[in-house]
Order: sequence, then structure tokens, then C-alpha cells
Amino acid sequence: MGDNDDYYDGDGAMDSLGAAPEVTYNWVDITPDFFKHIQDLQLGELLHDGHLFGLFEAMSAIEMMDPKMDAGMLCNRGSPKPLNFQQAIAAGKLKIDDLEPSELIGIIDATIACIVSWLEGHSLAQTVFTNLYLHQPHLIVNRTLKAYCIAVYKLLDSVRECINKAQVFEEEDFQPMGYGYRLGSNPQSGNMYDASLEVSEQKCISLLREQEEELNKKARSVDDDVSNLWSALAARIRFTRMFYQALLLITKRDSQSGADCVALLNGCSEMMKVIIKTAGKGTQPVENSDSPNPMGFEPMINQRLLPPTFPRYTRIKPRAEALQYFDELVARLRHAWKITSCTNFHTALDFFMEFSRQRACILSRSALQLLYLSPSPATTASLAQGVGSPPHHAFLEILRDSVKSFVNPPALTSKSSLLSTPQAREFVENFLARCVRPFAVLLQVCGHNRARQRDKLALLLDEFAALQEEAESVDAVVSGVAGGGARACFGTWLLYHVLRVMIAYLLSGLELELYSIHEYHYIFWYLYEFLYGWLVSALGRAEGLAGEGARRGDAKRSGARKQKKRTRPYAREGLMCQVMQNMCGGYYKALVAFKLQGKIKQPQSEFDNEAVRYKHRFAPLSVLTPPQVHYHEFCEMTQPLQYENPVILYLGGCKHFQQARTLLETITIPDQEVTDLLKVSKTNFVVLKLLAGGHKRDSSAPPEFDFSVHRHFPIIKLV
Amino acid sequence: MSTSPLLGSIHTDLNKEILDGKAKLRKWLNMNFRIEMTDGRILIGVFLCTDRDANVILGACSEYLKSSEGETEEPRVLGLVMVPGRHIVSIQIDDTTPPQKYYYEE
Repeated sequence: MGDNDDYYDGDGAMDSLGAAPEVTYNWVDITPDFFKHIQDLQLGELLHDGHLFGLFEAMSAIEMMDPKMDAGMLCNRGSPKPLNFQQAIAAGKLKIDDLEPSELIGIIDATIACIVSWLEGHSLAQTVFTNLYLHQPHLIVNRTLKAYCIAVYKLLDSVRECINKAQVFEEEDFQPMGYGYRLGSNPQSGNMYDASLEVSEQKCISLLREQEEELNKKARSVDDDVSNLWSALAARIRFTRMFYQALLLITKRDSQSGADCVALLNGCSEMMKVIIKTAGKGTQPVENSDSPNPMGFEPMINQRLLPPTFPRYTRIKPRAEALQYFDELVARLRHAWKITSCTNFHTALDFFMEFSRQRACILSRSALQLLYLSPSPATTASLAQGVGSPPHHAFLEILRDSVKSFVNPPALTSKSSLLSTPQAREFVENFLARCVRPFAVLLQVCGHNRARQRDKLALLLDEFAALQEEAESVDAVVSGVAGGGARACFGTWLLYHVLRVMIAYLLSGLELELYSIHEYHYIFWYLYEFLYGWLVSALGRAEGLAGEGARRGDAKRSGARKQKKRTRPYAREGLMCQVMQNMCGGYYKALVAFKLQGKIKQPQSEFDNEAVRYKHRFAPLSVLTPPQVHYHEFCEMTQPLQYENPVILYLGGCKHFQQARTLLETITIPDQEVTDLLKVSKTNFVVLKLLAGGHKRDSSAPPEFDFSVHRHFPIIKLV
Repeated sequence: MSTSPLLGSIHTDLNKEILDGKAKLRKWLNMNFRIEMTDGRILIGVFLCTDRDANVILGACSEYLKSSEGETEEPRVLGLVMVPGRHIVSIQIDDTTPPQKYYYEE
């Protein structure tokens, strides 16, 4: 977002107030009377104009002198008024020339800490723009610092552009507001924007390059110990330049830039190593001071730009942690770059989900979005929603390839053109065009923070429901034309994705700790009895359909027998589904047994209605195929277990975990996920075996569910 | 000042020493208040509500910093605020405006 003025709403109100005609007051003191009269009020009684103002309105008032609500309070607390750029120079507190290298390193490292604090969701006014040098970068005489400050402006712009384009942030992730700061304008001195002070991307890069060379020259010319400082400074400037360039490439995303971007990010990592090693060389913040560096930072300088109820004072991230953050951020960006080699939609979707699981920061999540689809999945989704004929988008081709490789429908194989009519083809094209939006949104949802994904998945299921109807009719039309019985190609493809979203939705409740322990049994039951089972069969059906398509192709070409060579592409995925299914089964049986033995605390019956809770938990699943399994069905199906011997149930659960473990052990190259699941299933196997043997049979102490090893599948602990 | 009918009525009321202070408080509703807080800030806003502990709610409130050198600084618009009674140093009422109606904005 280049235009910061969009975000200027913060002090718009002040302007209008200033413009209003001068109001004169005639103040009469009523303090003693007021305090006397209020004594006539009863305790708790409110005196107010009942028609216009009530308790409800009173609730939304901000409380003055409350440190959490009153942003204006801190700046008045006795401390002298913060000095602005000019005042600080006049007072001799801000050097703009003849800075020692250690001072420069200190300023740069503190600025990095501020940028990290901003990326963690704080406002620019309370983080980066507490740096006074950034208020008037063009007035700085020291050329290294000037180039750096200008580059910070450009860097902030490109970070903001990247994040805004991807649209995967919420207010808790990121604050895009610029408070009127931009290169060429400064709200502190009331400067209007001066376009002549803008610096182009190329100019900024060459400014940094110049400084890099100069600093390297200085580093070579002086003896060892001091030269360290110059080269440490050079590394910081070099890092800034390469990071800025890499970010520009990611945001612009032209395909030729691939190798460049990787090289730049690798360079960033190298420089960051040097920066971390030399972090101690710069001036360090004074102990117990709010300022991230002794010179150049005024934590309170922007306090009056903030809205009235702004969050309390922002603590800037400590330098060591901030540098660590940047180091990891670069590593995450390098990892995100790998998405560009995911040609298949399924692998890309898996990549998105895996990336999200690592709880990446907002910038790398955004970068991933932009790297996969240009300009971004969010834009793709909103374009697809537009009226009129949707633009023919690259994403539609990605989806077409995805269907083709998943189920290989005759309607999409080029050879079968004789089999399809123009009408059938149009149906297929329309269907794929309709798929663009929900699938782009699915990718976008994967970019959001973990807590926000759940609600967004639920909304997405509604859209998929509409799509499923369309898939059915397309399948009917296409099979009608082709003859030879109905093949639910498109339906299967869609069902597979719907099931994955459903599973992700239910599992996210475990990760976010939304379920009570007494609810676990039907959550795991649903996953065990239905969702994973359906997913396994959807995968099986897809393999069947794809195989059929391949045979069709083979028969046409040479009739050669190639089936034996075909590997099952979803073998591992199918296996993992079975693992999960078994684990869910294990939990379910264990939970029922716990319940029968009175080990799980149940809610007070008069305040509880399991049917209502069940309905609420599975509500988003209600509009789709496969149909939702209702509460009364749940009761009927699970009835027999209520009379089962807990020991039998423990043994059953034990068997499930054993099965999961056996399946996991067949995987030759286990990743972290597999190792974690293996650990969980092994432990739970032992625990259930103990329980079946009568261990702690008479104890009513509730078992604990420990999610520290795996976010969805807990280790059962007996205490 | 003394020509103002409003303040005159306040004074006559006070002279009569009517026991019910509530009625007098009620008369001040929807008028401009200027409250000085213990930290020196001045709040100017419309008096909307109070209670026994002198917690005061002001609508359309602006915050002024007490300037020692006499320079007037831009006010900061706060909107609806509640000032806890224990932080109130003084309360003044504006006598210039005729008792015009202020409506609380939704």
C-alpha cells in the first residue's frame, strides 16, 4: 500500500476540531456543590438522562487514568516532554554527523528490533517511528545512516504491500496504519507530503550499495579490532539491501527472478549470522530504559497520534530475540520459496497446510500466498466473484490439472473429444470456473493464523456445498454423453477436498482447546467412524477412476500392459488416513471406558444438554454431502457400548493404537509428523494396556490429555 | 455572568437548600463540564452521567494538556469517557451556552 494517507483516519477528527469556529467558555466552579449533591444518590444509583443515556452506553466509555485504556496518561507522567528531531539536535541529544560505528550499529540493531515488534502486531507509531532519525531522513548528514533510514522507509512500504496483497492478516497479526509517516512527510512537524523527497527503488538500492562499498573499503584500511566494526556495519547495510530486494521480487513475482531471489535470501542468511555475532559491538540500551537504544529513540514521541483507546505502551522486542526472529524469518522465506516448484495443486495445498502448522509469522505467510499465485489467492478469489464472465485465470488451469491427475475424467482427456459434446464441455468449463473462488479461498484460509482458520473453514464449507450440487450435475451430463454408466469423477475430487476441510475443522477444535474433555468422545467418534473412513474410500475411488482413465489411454495408444508399473500415488496419504482413523478409534473407546468407570467429570445434568452441544459442534458439517450424522443416530449407534465391559473397551482401544503404530512403522522415510504420531500411539498403547489390566481401576481421578507432542492427538496420562 | 438566567437559578436553588441534590445534578445534565484530573489534564465534554462516588461520564470529550508556558496545544479527541471520582480535582460548568440539547450519538 503506497498511499499512507488512506490510513489517516486517526487524526482526521482533530483537523475538523481545529477548523471549527472558536468556542468561548465561561467556566464556573461547582466542585464543592457537585460533591455535596452526589451524596444524595444511593449506592449504585446512576444519575442520567434516561431517554438519551443509559447503562448500556455507559459501558462503552473509556476509563480515564486506567493504564490499559488511557493512552494519554503515560505521556504526562512527570517525564519531560519528548523532544522531536529538531529539538533533540538542538539539545545536543541527537548526532546527525560524526557518528561512531558502534553508535550506528546500535541504531540499526534497535531499528531492527522495532521492525520485529511491528511485525508482531504492534503499531508503527509505537515501534519503528519512535526512531527520530526516521522523522527527517533527508536531514541526516551521516551518509550511511541516511541511506539506511531511507531504506527502512522503502522496506516498510514493501512489507506492507506484501502483507496487504496477501490479505491473510487480522488485527491481531498486523497493523498496517502508517499514521501519516511516509518518505517526504512527517506528522510530528505537520509537514505536508513533498513528492520530491521520494526515492525510487533503484535509487534506494544503489544508495545502499554505495555505502556497502565504502564501508568495506574502510574495513580494509584499518587494523583488526576496529575493522571488525566497519565490516559489522557493512554486513547490516548489505543485509538491508538484499532483504529489500528479495522482498521486492517476492511481491512483484516475475518468473525470471527465481534464481536471484534464492541467492538474495541465502545472502541474507549469511549476513544475519555476522550481524548476530557482532550484536554486542553496538551501543546497548540502558538497563531498565524503555528506549531500545541510548540515542535516537523517543518511545513516547507519537503518543498523541494514537487513537484514544490505544493499547498501552509497547515494549520493544529485545535485540537478541529480534535478530533471531529475522534469521528465522529469512529461513521461512527460503522455505516458502519452495512452493514455486509445487506444480500439482494437491502438493501445493499440502505445502500450505504444513507451512501453517509451523505457525509462521505474518510476513512469511503472506509471501507464501504471493509466491504461489500472482497476484495472490485473495485477489484471484475476489476476481472470480466479480460479475460478468470471470477472467480466464491461471488458477483454473491448475485446478483442471488437479482434477485430471486425481481422477482422470474422460471429459478432460484431450483424446476423448469425440465423446464429448459442446454442451458437456461447457458444463465442465463452468464448473471449473465456479471452483476458482472456493479453492482460492481455501489457500487464503491456510495463510491465516491458526485461531482464525476455524471459523473461515466453516464458512468455506457452505460454498463447497453449493459446488457439490454442481459437480453432481456435471458428472451426470458427462457420463450421459460418454455412456457406459455414471462415473462421479468431479464429485469424487470435490468430496476429497470437502472431507479434508471437515477433518481440519474438527481437529482445529482440539488444537485450539475448544472442547471439554467430556465432549471428546463424540468428536473422536465422528472422525473414527465417518470422516477418515470416507476419506480413505474417496482416495480409493479416485485411484480406481484414474486407473480406468489410464487404461483407456493405454488401450488407445498401444495396448501395452502398464498397469503393474503404476504406483499408487495416494498410498502414503491413504495410509496416514488409516493411522489417524485408528488413533481416533483408540481415543474413542478409551473415552467411553473412562466415562463408564466414572473417571471423566460430567457437567451437571440440569445445565447440560449433550444434544445441543453435539449439534453445535457439528453444525458447519450439516449442509453437505456426505450428510451429517445426527445426534439421535449417534445415540443409536453408540448405545451398545454403554453396556460394554470397560476392560474390553480398553483392549479395543489398545488394538487401535497398536494398529496405528504398525502402519506408521511401515513408512520408510518418517518425517516429524510420523515420528510424533508414533510416539503418541506407542505411549497410549501402553497406557491402555495398563488400564485393561486393572491399573487404577478404582481411582476416580480424571485422566489427563497431553497435547505437547502432537497438536491433535494427545498422550493419555494417568495421575 | 450574573445575567445568565441559568446560573441565577442554580444559585437560588442553592440558597433554598433543597434537600434533594439529585434535582440539581439533573439540571446540569447535558451541559458542558470542564474537569481537571489529578494528573493535570483537563477534560471538556458533555455531562451525561454520575453516581454516588462522583464517577462522571462525559460525552464528546476532548483532552487538553495543561501547558505551563501558556502555549495552547491541540486537543485530543477522546469521545465517551468515564472519569473516576477519585481522580477529579475540580469541576467547572460552562455558563455561556443556553441550555441547548445535546444528543448522545449512537
